[in-house]
Amino acid sequence: MKLPQGRLRKSRVVTDPREPLADVLDRAVTGYAVFEPQDSLLLDADGRGVVTFVDGVPVVAYHTGTDRGGPPALADLAVPGPYHVSVFELDGADLGPVHDVEDLRVPPGMPAERLAGDPALADSTRRAAPPERRAPAGTEAADDHGAVEAFLEDEEKIEAIREQARQEAKQRAAEWELNDT
Amino acid sequence: MVEVFAVASGKGGTGKTTSTVALGMALSERYDVTVVDADTGMANMLFHAGLSDAETTLHDVLAESASVEAATYERFGMTVVPCGTSLDGFRDADPSRLREVVARLAADTDVILLDSPPALDSRAAVLPVVMADRTVIVLQPTIPAISDGLKVQEYATSYDTDVAGLLFNKVREDGIERVAEKTERYFEGPTLGAVPESERAREARRAGRPLLAHAPHCDAAAAYRRAADSLSVRDGQSGEVADRFRSAVIPEPP
Ligand SMILES: Nc1ncnc2c1ncn2[C@@H]1O[C@H](COP(=O)(O)OP(=O)(O)OP(=O)(O)O)[C@@H](O)[C@H]1O
Ligand SMILES: [Mg+2]
Repeated sequence: MKLPQGRLRKSRVVTDPREPLADVLDRAVTGYAVFEPQDSLLLDADGRGVVTFVDGVPVVAYHTGTDRGGPPALADLAVPGPYHVSVFELDGADLGPVHDVEDLRVPPGMPAERLAGDPALADSTRRAAPPERRAPAGTEAADDHGAVEAFLEDEEKIEAIREQARQEAKQRAAEWELNDT
Repeated sequence: MVEVFAVASGKGGTGKTTSTVALGMALSERYDVTVVDADTGMANMLFHAGLSDAETTLHDVLAESASVEAATYERFGMTVVPCGTSLDGFRDADPSRLREVVARLAADTDVILLDSPPALDSRAAVLPVVMADRTVIVLQPTIPAISDGLKVQEYATSYDTDVAGLLFNKVREDGIERVAEKTERYFEGPTLGAVPESERAREARRAGRPLLAHAPHCDAAAAYRRAADSLSVRDGQSGEVADRFRSAVIPEPP
């Protein structure tokens, strides 16, 4: 997926991807965001996720580590934070070619559901989407248990999340002197 | 008999406080229950339990300016220990005193529920999970909530805190059984229940009342009661528990 660089609006580390998604929606940003998970231990950690937006509403998603696009790219990106997130602005015309690739497209509310786990933000994103992108009521959410189930079938990824948490817990227990309890 | 549960999720806004108060009310039909707002940085149990005008709170106790008894309130059939919302109160509070508070409360109650903060990033934030015997993990049926729940489990078990079970909340669609079944494979506790997304829950919060008092007959309240029924409280000796909490002194970081 090729995009012009664009104008950098924001670049920072967030613990919850909800924050940049809500911010982009709030400001009706047209452009893209790059999500870079900071968890070095996780499988897909060297990959980055890219989500594009028109007027704050997500259009396509792509993961550089797995080279997958669309909903699977969001699944690849769904790992515990923190993430380093950079938001770039672009002219709508620059996004046209990428937005025409059907396999990369995602339903408007899906990034908020899958990355942020925030159904309320997903609802407001869907409301902000142009009418032709709005799925009939209920149908988009209805497929989301499917995404959760797909995530739960990825045993390797879940084991990596648990292993990461175990090590973090151990290391922090030492830092916080909570060992002897 | 006393058993201490942390109600935790890692992720914010999953319904920990709502669930703590709801499980507390449901369990109070069988047990003597005490619920504690252990989210001392972002207290909000007082808004769920009609205590927004409480004068003395856990903050005062943790700042050593009030006794535990002065910060306990009998509400809705339970003993409620709310926390205050002022920044000053938070600054003066010493979270490691929470152990002493729980030890005192343990002396005369059957079940203690600790409403936990939505993070694992500081000593104060993990303290409820560290102190509890078991933890109830509140999950929304979303990928981020489940991965944060996995993190809570790893933190809990690394401190020998067992998983009492999973409580799905804000469930919006059919088919939660399949999600629950797949989720359970990775957790060391059963699914206690699935609470539907419910306008009644939001109304109750606005009215400053527990869901089970505000809308006792709604589906969400029924789901909480079933979840509470499937939670079997273990026998512990009050004296033993109190001793365990007192003896586990945490040194302050340098
Ligand atoms: N089953 C439900 N259906 C609808 N709304 C709910 C439900 N459970 C909780 N809520 C609402 O969600 C919001 C967050 O709930 P609550 O305060 O219990 O979450 P929390 O996990 O304690 O949050 P925090 O992480 O900020 O402490 C509240 O407005 C509450 O009324
Ligand atoms: Mg809370």
